[in-house]
Amino acid sequence: MKWLVNGRLFDGELLREGLCDLVIDKGRVAKIAPAGRFVPPEAATKIDLDGRIIAPGFIDLHAHLRDPGQEWREDIVSGSRAAAAGGFTTVVAMPNTDPPIDRSSLVRYVLERGQSAGAARVLPAGSVTKGRRGQELAEMWFMANEGAAIFTDDGLPVSTAHLLRTALLYADDLGMAIMEHPEELSLTKDAQVNDGPCAARSGLKGAPKSAELIAVERGIALAKDTGAHLHLTHLSAEESLEAVRRAKEDGINITCDVTPHHLTLDESLIEKSGYNSAYKVNPPLRSERDLEALWEGLADGTVDAIATDHAPYHLDEKDLPFQEAASGIASLECAVAVVFDAWLKRGKPFGIERLLRLFTAGPASVLRKSDLGRIEEGSVADITALDIGRERRVEAKRWESKARITPWEGSALCGWPVMTMREGKVIWVDGDGGLHAERD
Amino acid sequence: MSWRRKHLIDVDDWEREDFELLLEQTSNMDSILDRSIKKAPALRGKIVVNIFYEPSTRTRTSFEIAGKLLSADVINWTASGSSAAKGESLRDTIWTLEAMGADAVVIRHGEVGVPYYLAEKLKKASVINGGDGTHAHPTQALLDLYTAWRELGSLDGKKVAIVGDILHSRVARSDIYAFKAVGAEVYLSGPSTLMPTDINSLNAMYEPNIAEAIEGADIVYMLRIQRERQDAGLFPSLDEYHRRYGLTDKLLGKAKKGALVMHPGPINRGVEIASSVADGPQSFVLKQVRAGVAVRMALLYLMLGGVKE
Ligand SMILES: [Zn+2]
Repeated sequence: MKWLVNGRLFDGELLREGLCDLVIDKGRVAKIAPAGRFVPPEAATKIDLDGRIIAPGFIDLHAHLRDPGQEWREDIVSGSRAAAAGGFTTVVAMPNTDPPIDRSSLVRYVLERGQSAGAARVLPAGSVTKGRRGQELAEMWFMANEGAAIFTDDGLPVSTAHLLRTALLYADDLGMAIMEHPEELSLTKDAQVNDGPCAARSGLKGAPKSAELIAVERGIALAKDTGAHLHLTHLSAEESLEAVRRAKEDGINITCDVTPHHLTLDESLIEKSGYNSAYKVNPPLRSERDLEALWEGLADGTVDAIATDHAPYHLDEKDLPFQEAASGIASLECAVAVVFDAWLKRGKPFGIERLLRLFTAGPASVLRKSDLGRIEEGSVADITALDIGRERRVEAKRWESKARITPWEGSALCGWPVMTMREGKVIWVDGDGGLHAERD
Repeated sequence: MSWRRKHLIDVDDWEREDFELLLEQTSNMDSILDRSIKKAPALRGKIVVNIFYEPSTRTRTSFEIAGKLLSADVINWTASGSSAAKGESLRDTIWTLEAMGADAVVIRHGEVGVPYYLAEKLKKASVINGGDGTHAHPTQALLDLYTAWRELGSLDGKKVAIVGDILHSRVARSDIYAFKAVGAEVYLSGPSTLMPTDINSLNAMYEPNIAEAIEGADIVYMLRIQRERQDAGLFPSLDEYHRRYGLTDKLLGKAKKGALVMHPGPINRGVEIASSVADGPQSFVLKQVRAGVAVRMALLYLMLGGVKE
């Protein structure tokens, strides 16, 4: 039993007035009351939040945990621990593994390995098609029964409009969404960067924003057609956001997420850094204007979630000249701080509740999990404690993740998680965060 | 005279004064080339390593001659560009070069940004970019600039038309920057499919009609057209390309009288340029080659500090 005192409670919707105390018992939130109102049983372990934020455990909809098959990059244990250390209590593992997570036995494998890590909850995403080959639907019902959280062929878009339409209908029966990686591949062959100034000045092949928009519009048309829920992941272009905004106004069942890197980094950094491969990612970093459009999308509710697209690689695959380096940004352990720091530096362009929802209730609703992303009496005790004033430097060499290269290396960021709790168990504490708590 | 740059990766951070200093220095070196005994002792005891991941006998030989004329020890490192683990072997190569005490490394690589990577990893040696993918070819730009400057004097207000495959051309990217920096106006021409999407960020004027682009030009710079671009569907045929964009005597008549015709070589006769123009009196192609040696001598001299005798 635990007794969290003096926290500022964000319940998934609102930040409550004043400070709160919470009693956590048997993995659930047993009681919530204004600070100092009651005395809990003596057996309870007290954790004094001293005014820090208590939020529902953060959920990352999109992380590449590379397991099975690419464990030199990451595995489910390191990924789950990295998630916990990054402030997440739930992480959705992408299925572009080797073999791909395309059947129930592999879904079970991911869940069991995740349990054994004793850190963040790992929810497997199943692939939409068998072998992620884009030909036949995978056994989505079997995978759903085993515990798959969503379906995606991420890394690639669902191959054809017909297949995406079928998948949407089939998943809708199961009460689940399809997560689409929107990219028209015929426009992005060999692309390395956004098709903007950096492409013009370097000659690197550019991925035009239209490649994303075409796939976004395809998805919207099919979601409209079927009434089924389509989730568009890692949107990066102003035009994509605009399309989603319109679709939402039209009542189409669309959700979307954006990444911390597209919210904070733009294409100019590639040239400025001398083509440092840390900035190589797909979709590519776009223009400053696109970046601003993503913030507008956060502000007006067009965006439902912030998801990391954590893409860890071994140093030998990433510490290479730009063109031959692997594409992907590792961020699980700094993503929350990257976003909160940017929000603070921008002068808090919208309320903190909106920002917190993008990590909690927002992603929970994409996964259609009503038991996650909120805190009330009786709810699962997944909790992220956040210290908006905490400043810390990003040091990838100290990460739980196996990745060692990140664009934010050495940056001093403000606004860090200081503790994560999953089902009442403390799964991570920031040792220098000033919070007196012990890992369970 | 001081030279504060350790590496030469791109000229896009050079100031006008840098170009002018380099031109003066090149002029000195050029006069060495006129002597009967061309060797000067300036870089005795210095080691220059050429690593060419892309075959380019011209550029490599030019660096080699430049280094040798200044008495540096020039080593040609054979690098194969075909292995899948290219990057890893590059990293190993870098450390090996460092251990061997190279003072300057000249690198030619098919990928953008490799010289930056090299410069970041090398602790001591200077890096000279001998061309990185589609990105930059600074020594080509400098030799082009020198060729033009020697002939025309000040390039302020001069009109330079660069014609052809701008999209894939490291030469064009570096030349645009260099010519603009010394006050020239740069026009680009070629089909839109061979231009970058965001062409405005190249800071040059784009004119798809070649006749208008070279109208009154002081310098007509033709780029090499690669057959692969046709295979990639960027234009329908070499024949059509030649009819639209090939430099003929008639077309050259649009440029200023006596305009300089330049080309980075090797030339595709009958594609981007008609033989009669390539071999004609306005062709500066061979002067460019000679300028290449002088420019590279000047660079090596400035960068390696020139031992005082
Ligand atoms: Zn993706």
